[in-house]
Amino acid sequence: MKGDQLLFQNKTILITGASSDIGLSLIEHLSAEGAKLILHTSNKQSEEKLRHLLSNIPDIVYFNCDFSKPHILEDVYLSSGLENIALDGFVNCVGVRSRRPINLIKPEHSIEVMQTNFVSFIEMIRIITKKNRFNSPLNIVTISSISSVTGGQGITIYSASKAAVDAALRCLSKELAPKGIRINSVVCGQINSKAYHEMMDSKTEQHDPILERQFLGLIEPEKVSSMVMFLLSEQSAYITGSMIPVDGGYLS
Amino acid sequence: MMILENKKILIFGSNSAIPYSIAEKLKINGANIIFVSNEYTENAGIPQNIKNEIIHFNYQVIENISELFNEHLIKFSPFDGLVFAGGIGGVRPIKLNQPNFVMDMFSANVFSFMEIVRQASKKGFLKDGSSIVALSSVSSIKGLKSKSAYSASKAALEGAVRSFAAELAVRKIRVNVIQKGWVSSDMNLDFIKDNVQLSEEDDFKKQVLGAIEPDEIADLVSFLLGDNVKRITGTSILIDGGYTL
Repeated sequence: MKGDQLLFQNKTILITGASSDIGLSLIEHLSAEGAKLILHTSNKQSEEKLRHLLSNIPDIVYFNCDFSKPHILEDVYLSSGLENIALDGFVNCVGVRSRRPINLIKPEHSIEVMQTNFVSFIEMIRIITKKNRFNSPLNIVTISSISSVTGGQGITIYSASKAAVDAALRCLSKELAPKGIRINSVVCGQINSKAYHEMMDSKTEQHDPILERQFLGLIEPEKVSSMVMFLLSEQSAYITGSMIPVDGGYLS
Repeated sequence: MMILENKKILIFGSNSAIPYSIAEKLKINGANIIFVSNEYTENAGIPQNIKNEIIHFNYQVIENISELFNEHLIKFSPFDGLVFAGGIGGVRPIKLNQPNFVMDMFSANVFSFMEIVRQASKKGFLKDGSSIVALSSVSSIKGLKSKSAYSASKAALEGAVRSFAAELAVRKIRVNVIQKGWVSSDMNLDFIKDNVQLSEEDDFKKQVLGAIEPDEIADLVSFLLGDNVKRITGTSILIDGGYTL
């Protein structure tokens, strides 16, 4: 494709949780479409891995911060040289899993999951929507889960954290619309990811009941990132405050 | 026979109209109640007929909830039902929505409820076949400016309820949520009076049947606690005067 036809030419996109499967797929496709990337990882180690893996892509800005500590996020963001960069897009792929029966869901655990999956996301939006830190239109997309709308045994706190994000974006879409900011989520079913295969390998029972309802099968990360890119583009200019499913039929 | 006769119900509330109304209604319907209030007040506002059933204990300090159960509530157990009506409200634009504000909202509306259910589901507190009801709001499914923390906390509460329901089904314990719209007693709250956007009544007008009385919410709580309901679980029941139409 010629330079002037690239979908995200001269657009600056921030991806948090960039080393996740969906994050990696987004990096590949967004950079191919000309985007300038800012990549967040949760620690220095993952950042180094990512730098190594992406050494052929120029001009990436990296920063790392533990999302379970939302109070320090703004300081880290500013000290990473991001103060004077105006964003055109923000994709949040951070999400810790939690699978525990009720007798093990102690408050410390709930708080940590909620800080990581929800509070830090809201804090990122607070930080980046301040003056001079974004261009209008700014498009925000977060990765949600079918657990936000359905219940499953043992995933209480994970479900709660995803439902919290989806509820907040309905409010924020209204609040931030006058500034030219849209915000949506992609409600994912089970992804064909490393983590999924590790989990299945550790089980004796190889039949996964989720796949009976998710009748199109496991979802490739590329199919999620193409939906994210649609929501980041002006093709979706009239979609905001919405939860768009990429669920292989699960919710039907 | 009254629908809650011989039932012992644990209520988590605060010094406000809805939890008091629930307590009074459950008593009228024949229940024995224990009302845990997180605020100590010099009897101001407490209805005379539930005064003796009130325990003052700040359950929003989450690490103390196990003490509440093991030292104070154990002598009244087992319970046939549990009502969580102790959340808080709050309005803030994104600029002022700092992590501390969000976490306080979640402590009061989500983490305290989750810890209460964790403690109550231990041996000896909740009977098999009992019913848990938590108060939520239409804010969990409808967005309003400057209410992101509140909306998110209520959606989180409901997310947790769906999983609790799946998990506690083996003991035939049902867990449900009531999504309420504007209640007449809300109209006097400071955070609504102080918020121009809300007090302009634009939002209130969407509720075509008008403000809900606390008493009507109490009726729905009674229904969900009663033995007439056996197969409703993990769901959110709307009482919103048409707000979401």
